[in-house]
Amino acid sequence: MRRRLLSLMVAGLMAVSLVGCGGAESGAATGTSNAEAGGAPASASSGKSIRVVNGKIEVDSQLKKLAEMYEKESGVHVEIESMGGGIDIQGELKAYYQSDNMPDVFVCGGEADFNNWDGLLQDMSDQEWVKDTDAAYVSAEGTVGFPYTTEAVGLAYNADILEKAGVDPSSITSPAAMKAAFETLDSKKDELGLTAVIGYFAEPVNLYWSTGNHLFGTYLDSGLKREDSTYIDMLNDGGKLDEKRFADFADMVELFNKYSDQSLLVSGTYDQQILNFASGKYAFVTQGSWIGATMTTDDKDAYAEAGNFKCGMAPYAFEDGMDTILTNSPSWWAVYKDGNVAEAEAFLQWLTTAPAQEVLVMEAGFISPFKSCTYVANDPFAQTISDYTAAGKTSAWHWLNMTDGYAQNYTGQVFADFASGTIDKEGFIQIFKQVTEQAYAK
Amino acid sequence: MRGNKAAQLVISILVLLAGLASIIISLIIDILRINFSFRGGMLVLGIVLFFMGLYFIPTQKHHKAIINVIFLFPLLFCFAVTVIIPFGLGLFYSTTDWNGIRMTGFVGLKNYTEMFKDPSFLWSLIITVVFVIINMIAVNVIGLCLAVLCTSKIRAVGFFRAAYFIPNLIGGIVLGYIWQFIFNNVVLKWTFEAFGYNSSMLSKYNTGFFAIVLVYIWQYAGYIMMIYITGLTTVPTDVIEASAIDGANAVQTFFRIKLPMIASTITICTFLTLQSAFKQFDVNMALTNGTGSVQNFMGQYLSNGTQMLALNIYNTAITKNNYAMGQAKAVLFFIILSIVSILQVRISNKREVEM
Repeated sequence: MRRRLLSLMVAGLMAVSLVGCGGAESGAATGTSNAEAGGAPASASSGKSIRVVNGKIEVDSQLKKLAEMYEKESGVHVEIESMGGGIDIQGELKAYYQSDNMPDVFVCGGEADFNNWDGLLQDMSDQEWVKDTDAAYVSAEGTVGFPYTTEAVGLAYNADILEKAGVDPSSITSPAAMKAAFETLDSKKDELGLTAVIGYFAEPVNLYWSTGNHLFGTYLDSGLKREDSTYIDMLNDGGKLDEKRFADFADMVELFNKYSDQSLLVSGTYDQQILNFASGKYAFVTQGSWIGATMTTDDKDAYAEAGNFKCGMAPYAFEDGMDTILTNSPSWWAVYKDGNVAEAEAFLQWLTTAPAQEVLVMEAGFISPFKSCTYVANDPFAQTISDYTAAGKTSAWHWLNMTDGYAQNYTGQVFADFASGTIDKEGFIQIFKQVTEQAYAK
Repeated sequence: MRGNKAAQLVISILVLLAGLASIIISLIIDILRINFSFRGGMLVLGIVLFFMGLYFIPTQKHHKAIINVIFLFPLLFCFAVTVIIPFGLGLFYSTTDWNGIRMTGFVGLKNYTEMFKDPSFLWSLIITVVFVIINMIAVNVIGLCLAVLCTSKIRAVGFFRAAYFIPNLIGGIVLGYIWQFIFNNVVLKWTFEAFGYNSSMLSKYNTGFFAIVLVYIWQYAGYIMMIYITGLTTVPTDVIEASAIDGANAVQTFFRIKLPMIASTITICTFLTLQSAFKQFDVNMALTNGTGSVQNFMGQYLSNGTQMLALNIYNTAITKNNYAMGQAKAVLFFIILSIVSILQVRISNKREVEM
């Protein structure tokens, strides 16, 4: 009898523990189903909430501030989940999708990303902000991407040093002028306190995106009109490169290799690159407008010591007459169709209003893609971007439409090989073609 | 008494069926994606009811079997949910064109045939095998040497044991970044000053590969050393004393007495290093992320010169956005590892019999 009692007790204990696990499980299930139910009135009393997956971890605190502001104003709780620093966001999102845990708003970085979510995103064409911007992402399904900032890729320069050396940055619209500017600067390196003329880093592990995406992006777009997609169409058609244009591009890369900081060219990090530029050790740097934020926060002291010099951007003029810089929304926010659509759309609409834009522009350092926004960021590059935009001299970022993993798994390494001298210019062109075909073979 | 038993039988079968129904309904709700928040609770309740019914069935003959099943269930359930079902799904997905979100069709064995036509994958396979062989030998030799050193009568043995073991306590990713800094800044500075060579060890596939081997040995030799120390300290002292009386010197004692006595430890360590080297991922990812160019392999330029198998699978799925192909490669990886494991079990069983 006693034995039977004991076994019953053990069985009971087991059952309790099972129910215990089950309790947590069903609790989690309730959470997701509430989110799925959307605007259902069932949960209205406890307050609605939306979840945003943000791909720019550097503005996490500013977004959280906005979320608080929005909750005070509308009662909708906004949960900001920031990812970044080498995390593959699309991979994470796929895991969320598999576990039925999709956020209501998430970041998408271009054609490949949007194609992944084909049929799962909300068409926001009817939203008011659509009329206020040209930078929204429009697919065959409608307006699916909400733009939140503008970034620019150009040959960033230290205006003070160029002035001291007597180089006029506005003259750099041809390869000859670029070469002349580099040679002048190189000859005055010591008196200007330069380590090298240009901070061009081709490290393949952590900086492949700088060469493979941004620098190669200039091959696709430099000097072209925003809607001109000639070279990206060629590329996406089985990986074709234009012989002449690519050869000119290779000449420019060769020039960069020659005048770069040799000790860091192949192995330097992003931090070293920006710190050295902010300290006035390089006259040029091959990074985009986002470094302004790093220069005025992390590298604040070095930047101040170098005299808070003025910055600007010159075109990557590897052919005569190229006079545009590349500006675009670097990624967009998309709304998940089966999520809390109404609240998510309302939140995005609210982000375009003045108080929200003030935080985004003044604190997060974004350059607003919305025409109604009157704030100008206190960023070293804000002025040059607005100058180019006003003059209509901007090209798009068609590299966002390149095939998945093209820079990381293929071309980043080729840039590094060229930089280290393993291959010469001929080899660079030939191997670049070969890996491009490999990347597009699938 | 008899009526009582019949009633118990009826009730227990009713409870059992109710439980079964509850399980089935909750599964249907889940599969049809109907929003009903109690489906999880319902499933658990169904399982509990089912087993209660089963337990109270008045039978003497099968009672023991039923109890066994009830007690095994939690384990089997967890095993099924975490291993069997995902494995089945993985096999299934490897024959489709799944991209991580949805699949549009079956491709049969195309993923499997395709991957052997891909030079970069073959390259990964080859360097993984080379890496395994090098490490299996190097880690064991160095681990054994350290163990001999740490069981000898030098001063501060405890300190050395701890010091050699500590790298193993640091996570592979952290370790990778630490060494990346060392290779890219310290070693580079030396080579730049000495030969004017501007790229770090990590930027070439051969030196990069060597760097991974180095870091891996640094990380793993201490761990293997610990196992060897245990082995060496269990060698009976009377045997050693006897050999000393017979006039054997230290070298002879080591090779003729100690080494044969720790043969089983050597087997264990060999397979431990074999398996963990095969699965090398974190250090590889943090240190070089598979970069390093191979100028000509099977007529192609490869950009993944230091990419081991596990990293290749990860990259195929995540950065190249080809989940189905990654899955197919993972299945092959599983087959290779199971062969290794089966060999290990066979060989160690045989040895134990011999001992």
